[in-house]
Amino acid sequence: MAKKLSKILLYAIVTLGAITMLIPFLWMLSTSLKTAPETIKVPPIWIPKSLQWGNYIKAWSEAPFARYFVNSVVVTSVTTVGQLFTSILAAFAFARLKFFGKNLIFVIFLGTMMIPGEMLIIPNFVTLSKLGMIDHYAALIVPWLASFFTVFTLRQAFQSTPEQIYYAAKMDGATDWKYLWTVLVPMSKSTITAVTVLQVIGSWNAFMWPLIVTNTETMRTLPVGLQAFTTDAGTEYQLLMAASTFVIIPMVILYMFLQKYIIAGISKAGLKG
Amino acid sequence: MKVTFKDVTLSYDGKKDTLKHLNFEIPDGSLVSLLGPSGGGKTTTLNLISGLLPATKGQIFFGDDDVTKKDALARKVGMVFQNYALYPHLSVRDNIAFPLKMQKVKKAERYKRAEELAKLVHVDDQLDKKPGELSGGQQQRVAIARALAKSPSLLLLDEPLSNLDARLRIEMRQEIRRIQRETGVTTIFVTHDQDEALHISDNIMVLAHGTIQQFSTPTALYEEPSNLFVAKFIGEPVINTLPAEALKADLVASVPASILARAVTAGVRSEAIVPFDNGQGMVAAIHAGLRHAQKYGREATAELSYNGEVLLSTEMADLPQAQTEGDFFLTKAGFFLFDEAGALIFGGDSHDQ
Ligand SMILES: Nc1ncnc2c1ncn2[C@@H]1O[C@H](COP(=O)(O)OP(=O)(O)O)[C@@H](O)[C@H]1O
Ligand SMILES: [Mg+2]
Repeated sequence: MAKKLSKILLYAIVTLGAITMLIPFLWMLSTSLKTAPETIKVPPIWIPKSLQWGNYIKAWSEAPFARYFVNSVVVTSVTTVGQLFTSILAAFAFARLKFFGKNLIFVIFLGTMMIPGEMLIIPNFVTLSKLGMIDHYAALIVPWLASFFTVFTLRQAFQSTPEQIYYAAKMDGATDWKYLWTVLVPMSKSTITAVTVLQVIGSWNAFMWPLIVTNTETMRTLPVGLQAFTTDAGTEYQLLMAASTFVIIPMVILYMFLQKYIIAGISKAGLKG
Repeated sequence: MKVTFKDVTLSYDGKKDTLKHLNFEIPDGSLVSLLGPSGGGKTTTLNLISGLLPATKGQIFFGDDDVTKKDALARKVGMVFQNYALYPHLSVRDNIAFPLKMQKVKKAERYKRAEELAKLVHVDDQLDKKPGELSGGQQQRVAIARALAKSPSLLLLDEPLSNLDARLRIEMRQEIRRIQRETGVTTIFVTHDQDEALHISDNIMVLAHGTIQQFSTPTALYEEPSNLFVAKFIGEPVINTLPAEALKADLVASVPASILARAVTAGVRSEAIVPFDNGQGMVAAIHAGLRHAQKYGREATAELSYNGEVLLSTEMADLPQAQTEGDFFLTKAGFFLFDEAGALIFGGDSHDQ
């Protein structure tokens, strides 16, 4: 009886949590289908009188979203692939190779994780502008090609695979390079998927950095492009929300497809999203 | 392929020598066991042969080739690990074919070879499964097939049976012997289980404390242990040992005085203490107290008390239960004397000299 009660309580809390998380999302969908006056009505309304699907078409055409979309796809995929590549190599080195100063280097890298990202914005900006990269794809991509968080997570996953399999691969004639890509990476699939998805989402949703390092409209990414609906005359909420919806939909789809791996990977690596 | 160690020493940390001046030659086509207690250096020796570890000093030869400086990739030996170390993400077929894939053998060809090997080790009905779906014995077979895939001239197995249950262990050791005979590959088999080594090997190398205690046939190991360590390590029940002093008075007739003077420890196998002179050569007659112990199945042990020492005998089953003392005999076979350093100075074949 007490067991049943605590189970009910648990479900109630979880449901409440889920609803709380969902409300902003539902509000976004609802607002995206309202007329302009409806968006600022007090008390607020949840269900518009007639659904304004036209908001989506209008939002898409009001700013060069197709271009933003391309930019976001390019930046996100190159960043993710590049970062994954460097991280896999570094994680392998830390997990399996023996080299001089390994532990010291690792501790120094670990130390960099303690530095808040905001502190790096100005130095990074200065560096990139000296390199003449501002307002180019390079500025959006290069700073993110290495991530110690990803290295650290992958190292944990690599270390959790049996060392004997490494020796077995050597005996079977695999070089370190072959072992890494044909054995270690496939064996760590769930963790790699998890960090990939986290990186894709982070990269796709990045706002601050792309805003700072791009000036021209053609270099903007989707989240930055959403600003188009905020002008001196005020914010067109219904259009902003319609645009936000199509910005996040690819991520929602990605998440739904890979949910199984992400959860497995996150719980395995003991990392928090 | 013949394997030769010339004065090989290994130190992990540069201070303490884990293996000390190993010298041996493993004949081509034979099956040799490395037998010894845990921590004795068996795995280390195997890793030196495979090339996973470089020797600190000395030379290693495969046939006439000096491979001392070559790494594992270049040495091309096959190895089976204690926990099999199969690739969990690959099917049995791909596991067996993996070494060939690394050699860039064409897919059709390597799968054909994988299937042949699967037949050899009797897992040809499991080819599409993942290692996780197999039993321990089957994984073991797959690991052997994988190790044989590149037709190595040398097959190394590191305690391959220790993760299997007792019944399967006996089955698999016969399998390994069969596969070795069929392929003729020179095989080095590591084990800490003397029974396993005695049943499977042409020759046994007993390794303890980083040195070779003895390298000989299983029979010689039992009948002529080269030192006290081997005498105690090999044989069930464990050999009786007692100070030679306790026996000296009864040995003067059969053991030369010069040997007797150096003898410190005597070793007597439990089957070497018999109730009657069976005419096969006796080294001593002793008078001792007798206490029958219980019978276990067909085995009966008795405890003899002699000069304050307790000796275990397995040959007293036919004596009347009520008998509490008597005259017993020690046979030449199974009786040994060791000097202060533990080296054999009497017994086995050496008693004629
Ligand atoms: N990688 C290593 N680093 C340092 N010492 C080791 C290492 N591997 C084994 N040893 C030591 O070397 C000795 C022999 O070990 P090992 O060859 O594994 O013995 P066995 O296989 O006979 O049990 C042991 O004392 C062990 O602690
Ligand atoms: Mg070992």
